[in-house]
Amino acid sequence: MRKLLLIMCVMVVPVNAWGKDKLLDIQPVTSPGGIKAWLVEDHNVPVITLEFGFKGAGALLEPADKQGLSRMLSNTMDEGAGDLESQVFQKELQDLSIGLSFGSTRDDFTGSVKTLTRNKARAFELLQLALTKPRFDAEPVERMRAANLSRIRSSMSEPDWIAARILNDLAFTGHPYAQNSGGTLTTLASITPDDLRAFHKNNLGKNNLFVSVAGDITKEELATLLDQVFGALPTVKLPAVPKTTSLQNENTVNVYKKDIPQTIVEMLQPGIDRKDPDYQVGQVMNFILGSSGFGSRLTEEIREKRGLTYGIYSYFMDMEYFDGLEVSTSTENKNAGEIIAMTKAEWKKMKDAPITADELKDAKTYLTGSLPLSLTSTDAIAGLLLSLQMDDLPLDYLDQREKIINATTEADVQRVAKKILQEDKMTVVLVGTPEGVKDFKAIDKVPNVE
Amino acid sequence: MKRALFIAALLCLSGGGIVWAQMAATPKADTPEAPKETREKIFNAETFTLENGLQIVVIPNHRAPVITHMVWYKVGAADEVTGKSGIAHFLEHLMFKGSNGLAPGEFSKKIRAMGGEDNAFTGHDYTSYHQSVSVDHLEDVMKMEAGRMRGLNPPLDHVDSERLVILEERRQRTDNDPRARFAEQMNALLYVNHPYSKPVIGWASEVASLSWDDCKTFYDKWYAPNNAILIVAGDVTGQQVFDLAKKIYGPLPKADVPERKRPVSPPLAGVPEVTLEDEVIREPMVQIVYRTPGSRQSKEETLALQALEEIMSGGPTSRIYKNLVVDQKIATGAGLSYQSAALDDSELWIYATPAPGKDIKAVKAALQDQIRDVIKGGVTETELKEAITRMQADAIYARDSLTGPAMVFGYALTTGSSIDDVEYWTYDIAKVTAKQIQDVAKKYLDPDAVLEHAAVTGYLLPKVSAPPAAEPAKAAAP
Repeated sequence: MRKLLLIMCVMVVPVNAWGKDKLLDIQPVTSPGGIKAWLVEDHNVPVITLEFGFKGAGALLEPADKQGLSRMLSNTMDEGAGDLESQVFQKELQDLSIGLSFGSTRDDFTGSVKTLTRNKARAFELLQLALTKPRFDAEPVERMRAANLSRIRSSMSEPDWIAARILNDLAFTGHPYAQNSGGTLTTLASITPDDLRAFHKNNLGKNNLFVSVAGDITKEELATLLDQVFGALPTVKLPAVPKTTSLQNENTVNVYKKDIPQTIVEMLQPGIDRKDPDYQVGQVMNFILGSSGFGSRLTEEIREKRGLTYGIYSYFMDMEYFDGLEVSTSTENKNAGEIIAMTKAEWKKMKDAPITADELKDAKTYLTGSLPLSLTSTDAIAGLLLSLQMDDLPLDYLDQREKIINATTEADVQRVAKKILQEDKMTVVLVGTPEGVKDFKAIDKVPNVE
Repeated sequence: MKRALFIAALLCLSGGGIVWAQMAATPKADTPEAPKETREKIFNAETFTLENGLQIVVIPNHRAPVITHMVWYKVGAADEVTGKSGIAHFLEHLMFKGSNGLAPGEFSKKIRAMGGEDNAFTGHDYTSYHQSVSVDHLEDVMKMEAGRMRGLNPPLDHVDSERLVILEERRQRTDNDPRARFAEQMNALLYVNHPYSKPVIGWASEVASLSWDDCKTFYDKWYAPNNAILIVAGDVTGQQVFDLAKKIYGPLPKADVPERKRPVSPPLAGVPEVTLEDEVIREPMVQIVYRTPGSRQSKEETLALQALEEIMSGGPTSRIYKNLVVDQKIATGAGLSYQSAALDDSELWIYATPAPGKDIKAVKAALQDQIRDVIKGGVTETELKEAITRMQADAIYARDSLTGPAMVFGYALTTGSSIDDVEYWTYDIAKVTAKQIQDVAKKYLDPDAVLEHAAVTGYLLPKVSAPPAAEPAKAAAP
C-alpha cells in the first residue's frame, strides 16, 4: 500500500508560488497598452482569479440624497451588458460557472472574476462587457432596488448592524464617511438608471484602476488580456472630497436602548496609517492587546478569567482618510459598564509597563509565520495583491514587513502604545439595555436609515 | 458561493455506513461503468486505518508550505442524553481548558506562537477540532491533539467561567436575534422525538446546569481513536502523515464506543405552523422546512435532491429566483436549500421574502407551485444537463482551497458517507435522471399530500403596533 501511495504523490507536480528568497513571487506585468497588474502564477488548479479596484470611486463620492448609489452600481453592472439582457448575461455566467461580481466600499469600487481555465476567454469577454457596456435596464435596476430595500429592512432588526450604523454616524459627523454606504430607504428609492450611468462613466477609469491576478495564467497571456478587458476604459477626474477626518464625538458613550438580553459594544479611537513607520510595531502591540483572540490580553482577562463575553477583539481600521482602532464585543446587559472599564484598564496597562519577552516572541512568530495560511486559494492571493497595490505599498512589502516585525523590541511596543492608545478618546456605542454605564447620551433613532 | 454550494452538496452522500481504506479494499462491483481505478478522483486523498481504529485521510496540496490538521469525532449534540442539551458543545469548549501537560488556554496560545490558527465546532452528528500551521509544526500539533483525545483535565473554576462564556455565546447567536430563535423553533417542531429537535448549543436552562461530571461522562464514552477521523490537508505526503500518526496517535487505546442509535421521528399527524411576530422585524419572511432522507437512508435520493436544489436555486436564472423574483415580482428574494449532511433525516428549506404589499400566504403558495411544477411536469433534460455541468465545475473550484476539501471529507465521513462517495461524486451526480428528481419531489415535498411527509411552515412577521392606515394594500403582513 505504501508504494501505491508514493506513486500517487509523485503524480502531483507542485508549482510553488513561494520564492526561495521572497515570501511570495509577485510578478509585475504591464500590457502593451500600459495597463499594469500584479500576478502570482499558480498552475496547481485550473482556476484563475482576477481582482480589480477603482481607487477613490467608493461611497464617499455619493451625494447625501443618493446614498447607496455605488452599492447599487455594484449590484447592477452584472445585470446585462452589450447586447445581452440581464437574464441572458446571468445565464451565460451560470452555465460556464463564472463568478463575476462587483463591490463597493466607502473608499473604492472593486470587482472580481473567477473562472475555470477552460472558460477563461468568455469569462474575460463578459467582464469587459460588464465594465464598459453595462445596460442598466429598468427591470434589473428595479429588482436590485427592491433587494436592497429588503436588505435594509432586514438589517434593522440586527443589533450589531444598528451599533455599526450609529458608530459611523457619530465618529465621522461632517465627513462623507458618516453617510450610509448601503443607502437609506429614501435615497435608494431616488436612484435612477441615469445616476448609475453617470457614476460609472465619471469614476471608473484607466487612471484609477488596479489589477491583481492569481492562478493558472502566464505573464504573457495576462499582458494581452489586460488591454482586451480594460483598454477601453476612459480617463476620469474624480471630484474632490474632504481629505482627512478626525474622530468625532470623542470621549462619549452613546446608548441605543433595545430590549435584548445582551449589549453590543463598539469602541472606536484614532489609529495609525498603514504607511506610518510605526504601523508594524502597532500590529505587534495590537496582537498582544486584542487582535489574536486566545492569548490576547482582552480575551484572557475578560473571557477566559471572568466569562464576561463570547468574543472580544481589537483591530485597526484602515481607510483612505481615517485610521482607527476599534474594539467589538458583546456581554449580558448587567456587565456592560464593567466590560468598558476593563477594556480601558488594559489600554493603560499596555502603556504603563513593557510587554514580556514571551509576549513579544509569540507575537512575532504569529505575525510572520501565519502569512502563508492566508494564501492558500487564488482569491485570497489576488485579494492580498490588490490591497497592497491600492494602498500604494511596494512589491517587496511582505518581506519588509517581516524584517520590521522581527526587529521590534519591548520598548518599541511601549513607545507605540503610548503614541496610539487613548482610552479617553473613545467614541463608544452600546445597543441593548446596558447597566453600570454613567454619563451616557441616549440615541432615540437609528440615524440615516429610513 | 460556488464552492460553498459544492461543499454543501457533498454533505449528503451515502455509503451504507461502510467506510474502507480505498487503497487496501477491493472496489465494490456495484456500478456498470468502468472500474473505479480509471475514473478521475476529485481530491486524490489517501487513507489508512491504525490498529486502534483511527481512520486517517490525507489530501496532498503543495501550493503553500502549510497544513490543516483536523480531528473529527463521530459524536455530536444528537448523542446527548435528554435533559442535558449542550454537553457536546460545552465539552468542545472545555477541550481548550487543559490536557496532558497543557494548562487551560495553552493549547491555542501554543498554536498562535507557531504562527498557526486553531478552532473547533460542534454539530448534531460531529465535533471537529482543527489547526492550520506551517508544515514543520505538524508533529507538534499532532502531539497536542493526541494529548487531549483521552487526557482532558480542566480545573473546575475554568469549567464555571466557560459555562458563562457559552451562555454569552447563546445570547449572541440566538437570544439577541429573532430570526435565529425562529429557526430554532421550526427545528424543534420538525424533528419530533428525535434529538435534531434540540439546538446544538443547548437550551439555556439546561446549559446553565451542566457540570464537569456530565461532560466527563460524555467524553469518556465517545472520545477515542476508534470513534475519530484524522484529516490532514496540505504540503505533505500520505507516507509522512501515516508514519507520524502511527507514532503519536498509535499508542492511544481503543474504547468500547456505543452504537449511535437515536429515536425515530414519527410521521406528523398535522401541519405545524410557527408564527413569530416581533416589533423589531421590519421584513417578513416565509419558509418551509421538510424532513428528507439523509446519508445513510438513500444515496440515490440524496443525489436527486442535490440536483433538484441546483435546478431550483443554483443561481439567478434558476427556477425559483427567475419565477418569483424576476418574472412574477412577488418576492425580493427566494430559494431552496438542501442541507444533506446528516446521519439521520436531513432537511430541505424553501423560503421567500415577499415584495412590499404582497400577501405572505400568496407568496407561500407561489413557492409551493414551484414544487408542484416539478411534480407535474418534471425537469427538462437541458436543465438537468446544465445543472450537472455546473455541479461538476464546482468540484474543480473546491480544490482551490486548503481547508475546504478537509471539511468535505470530515462532514461526509461523520455522517455515513465513504471516501469514494466524495472522490467519485462527479460521476454519481451525472447519473441522476429527470425521473428521479420528479420522484423525490413527489415523495418528500408534495404540497398537496402534506400528511405523507413531514414539514413545518414558518412566518416571520413585523408586529404592527397600531392599526394599519388608509393603505391596506401596502401593509406587508397578511
